[in-house]
Amino acid sequence: MRLLVYFAPKLALALVTMLGVSVLVFLALRFLPGGYADILLGPFATPDARKVIAERYGLDQPMIVQYGRWLLAMSQGDFGVSMVTRRSVIAEFLRRAPVTLELASLSLGLVLLVGVPLGVAAGAAASDRPQGGLARLVGALGASVPDFVLGSALIFVFSVWSLWLRVGGYVPFFDDPVTNMRVMILPTVTLSVFGIALVLRTTRDAVLRVMTEGYITAAVARGENPRNIIRLHVLRNAAIPVVTVVTTYFGFLLGGAVVVEVLFSIPGVGLYAFNGLLNRDYAIVQTGVLLAAAVFIAINMLADLLYAIIDPRIGSGSGR
Amino acid sequence: MSFGKRIGGIAFALAISVAGSAGLAASALAADATIVWGKPAEITGFDVHVAGTVASWEMYQMVYETLLTTDENLKLQPGLAESWQQTSPTTYVFKLRANAKFSNGRPVTADDVIGNLERIKNPETASYWSAQLGNIAKMEAPDDHTVTIELESPHPALLAALAHITAAIIPIKELKDGSFDPTKDLLGSGPFMVSEHKQDESWTFVRNPNYWQSGEPVADRLEVPIIPDESARMAALRDGRIDFTTFENPDAVQMLGKDANIKVISQQTTNYYRVDVNALSEKSPFHDKRIRQAMNLALDRDAINNLVFGGTTRVDYPVPAAFGKDACHADPVYALSRDERVKKAQALLKEAGKEHPTVRLMATSANPVLGRIAQVMQQSLQEAGFTVAIEQPPTAEYLQKVFTDGDFDMALSWLAGYTDPTMVIAWWNPKFAVWNQVFQEEVPALSAALDEVKTMEDGPARDGKLKEICSLIDDSSNLLALVSKTDYIAYRSDKIELKVPAHSGSSNTFQYIAAFKSLD
Repeated sequence: MRLLVYFAPKLALALVTMLGVSVLVFLALRFLPGGYADILLGPFATPDARKVIAERYGLDQPMIVQYGRWLLAMSQGDFGVSMVTRRSVIAEFLRRAPVTLELASLSLGLVLLVGVPLGVAAGAAASDRPQGGLARLVGALGASVPDFVLGSALIFVFSVWSLWLRVGGYVPFFDDPVTNMRVMILPTVTLSVFGIALVLRTTRDAVLRVMTEGYITAAVARGENPRNIIRLHVLRNAAIPVVTVVTTYFGFLLGGAVVVEVLFSIPGVGLYAFNGLLNRDYAIVQTGVLLAAAVFIAINMLADLLYAIIDPRIGSGSGR
Repeated sequence: MSFGKRIGGIAFALAISVAGSAGLAASALAADATIVWGKPAEITGFDVHVAGTVASWEMYQMVYETLLTTDENLKLQPGLAESWQQTSPTTYVFKLRANAKFSNGRPVTADDVIGNLERIKNPETASYWSAQLGNIAKMEAPDDHTVTIELESPHPALLAALAHITAAIIPIKELKDGSFDPTKDLLGSGPFMVSEHKQDESWTFVRNPNYWQSGEPVADRLEVPIIPDESARMAALRDGRIDFTTFENPDAVQMLGKDANIKVISQQTTNYYRVDVNALSEKSPFHDKRIRQAMNLALDRDAINNLVFGGTTRVDYPVPAAFGKDACHADPVYALSRDERVKKAQALLKEAGKEHPTVRLMATSANPVLGRIAQVMQQSLQEAGFTVAIEQPPTAEYLQKVFTDGDFDMALSWLAGYTDPTMVIAWWNPKFAVWNQVFQEEVPALSAALDEVKTMEDGPARDGKLKEICSLIDDSSNLLALVSKTDYIAYRSDKIELKVPAHSGSSNTFQYIAAFKSLD
C-alpha cells in the first residue's frame, strides 16, 4: 500500500510526460526540412509529384488532424506503417528489440564489471596509490572520447586487421553464439567506455563520501577487517547514487545506442529509428521516440522502486 | 547476494556462454550456389515507376525487366521484347518473348506493357519518367505478344527510355485485381524473386523458376546484406562474408589492392558529378551570369579527377564523355588552359563589380565523395577570387533546400546519363525537367534547341545540334558537368565468377547478375 501511494502520482506524471513527448516529436519532425516525398522521388520531386505522395500518405492534412489520427490509432494499438515498406513499425521494433537489448545488456555488464570495481578501488585507496591513478585515467579518457570517434577508429583498425573480431554483419546469438560475440565485442566496447567512466566516477565519489562518515571511522577504530568494512558498510551505503546512475544509463542504452548501431550496422531499434529519421519516415521516428521515452520512464520508476527497497524510509513519509 | 558476487556472477555467465559455444565455431554456411552482394544502401520505396534513387533502381533490377536493354557499348538490345521495328517516325511495333513470364507463372502480355506505360503516364502515379517517354498518342495490342505505340511527334529517345528500369514491366492484371501491390512488394519477370526482406538489414532473393532465359540464373540464391559503411564492406569482402560490392571512393580500391583474392573493376558510366548553380535567387551572387561564367571557368575539373579520384576518372561534359561524342570539347571552359581560364574568370568578376564574392557550396553529408569534391572546388575557385563556404546537410534537407526552396548558391550532386545523349541533356530545359525550376534560368534559344534535338535521329546533324547546345549551356553556366562518375566494383575472385559491362548507362551495374556463378 505504501508503494502504491508512492507510485500513483509518478504514474500519472509519466502519462502526461508521454503525451508531451508525443506532441514534441510530432512537431519536431514536421518542422524538419525535407519530407518523404523528397527522399522517395529524389531530385525529381516536382511539386505535382510531391503533392501526389503527400496525399497518398495523408501528409496533406492539417497538422492537428494528422496528430489526432495518430493518437487515435495509437490508442487502438496501431502505431502506423513505414512509408518505405508499408509494414507495421511496431512489429519491426519488436523484431529488433532483442538486438538492442543484447547490445545494452552486454554493455551494462562490461560497465559494471569494470566501472564498479575500479570505482570502489579508487574510492577506498589513498589518492596516490596506483589504482587511484588508473581510475582517474580511465575516467578521464572514457568521458572525453566520443562514441563515434572511438567506434570509427575501431572499425578502421579491425577492418584492416580483424584479430578474430568482426566488423558489421550481425548474427543472432542463438543462430551462432561465437560469431555473435565476434560481432558484438567492438560495439559493446564502444558503447561501454563512456558508461565505465560515468560509473567509475560515481562509485568513487560515493565510496569517498561514505568513507568519511563517523560509523566508518568507528569501525576502523574497532579494528574491523578493511575488506569487511568495504563489503558490509561502504558498498551498501554507497549503492544509491550508483543504482541511480546505472539504471539511468541502462535506459539511455536501450533508447539511445543509436550512434553505435549506425556505426556498426547493428540492426537494432536505434538503427531503425535513425534510418527512419533520414528517410523522414515519420511513423518509425515517432514510435521510436515514444518507446524510448517509455523505457526511460519505466527504468526511472524501477530505480525509485529499488530505492524504496534499499532504504525503507523512502516513500514511507518518514524519510527523505 | 553481495554486489561483488553479483558482478562475479555476470562475468561467470558471460564466460560460460562464450566457452560453451566455442564448439560451434566456424559453422560456415553449407556450400551452395549462393552469391552475396554487399549493397551500400537500402531502397527508398518499392514502386519501380516512382522511386528516383539509384539505391532503389539497383534492387529493382534483380526482379524487374524492361522491354529493351543495352549492351556494354550502350547499344539497344532485346529485353522482354525480342524485336522491335520503327514503322514510321512516330510508330513503333514491339514483339514480346513468347516464353517471358512473371515469377508467379503468368505470361507477360501486351496488355501488361500497355498498362505499365499508362501507369507511368498517369499523373496520379507521380512517375518522373513520364516526360522521358514522350507524348504517346495511342497504344494497341493486335495480339497477346505484339504492342504498337504511336507517338504524337517524333521522339527517338523513346527506345532508350524504355530500356531504363523505371519503365519496368510489372504485372498489371495482378495490380488491378488487388493481388499485387507494387508499393509493398516486388513481383517481376526478372531472374530473381524476393524471399525475405528485413528493412535496412538484408534481402534474400531466390531464383525465379519461370525466368525465360534457359539455364539462368546460375545462382540459386542471392543474399544482399545492406552495409553502408565502406570500412565494414571492405572487412566483409576480406573475410569472405560478401562476394561482391561497389565503392564510389577510389581509396577503397587502393586499400583492397593488396589482397590477392580481391579484384576491382572500374566501370565507366554515362553518369557524372555535377554542380547546380542558382541563377534565379536574387540573394545568390550567381544571379549575375558573369559570376556564374567566372565560376565555371575557374573550376578545375582536372584537379577533382586527380585529387579526389587519383586520376581514375575523367573530365566530363553535359553530353557525357562515355558516349564518345565531342560535342562540348571545344567550349572555352574545356579548351582553354588553366591560366587563361583563371585570368578570364578574374576579368569577369571585375566586370561584374564583385572581385571577391562569397558563395555557399552545398553537398549532402550522405556521400563523402561529394564533400571531397567540394574541398577541391573550394581551393580552385579561391584562385579566381571566390570565397567558398561548404555546407553538408542531411539528404532530405539538401533536397528540399535545393530543389524546392532554391535556398542555395551552388549544390553538388550527380546526374544519371542514361543511354542516349538527348535524354540527359533534356534536363537543361526547366519546362521539361520541372525539378530544377527553382534555380535554372530558362534560355529560350537553349530550350528551342533541346526541343529540336529530341526529335532528331543519331547522326552528324544531331551531333551538330549537340555542339550548339553545349555552347549555350557553357554560356549560361547554370547546371555544370564536373567529372565522370566511375563505379568501382570489388569482388572475391576465389568465390565468384562475374560479368560486368564495361560501360553502364542506367546504373545497371549488375545487369548480368543472372550469369554470376558461385565458386564455393
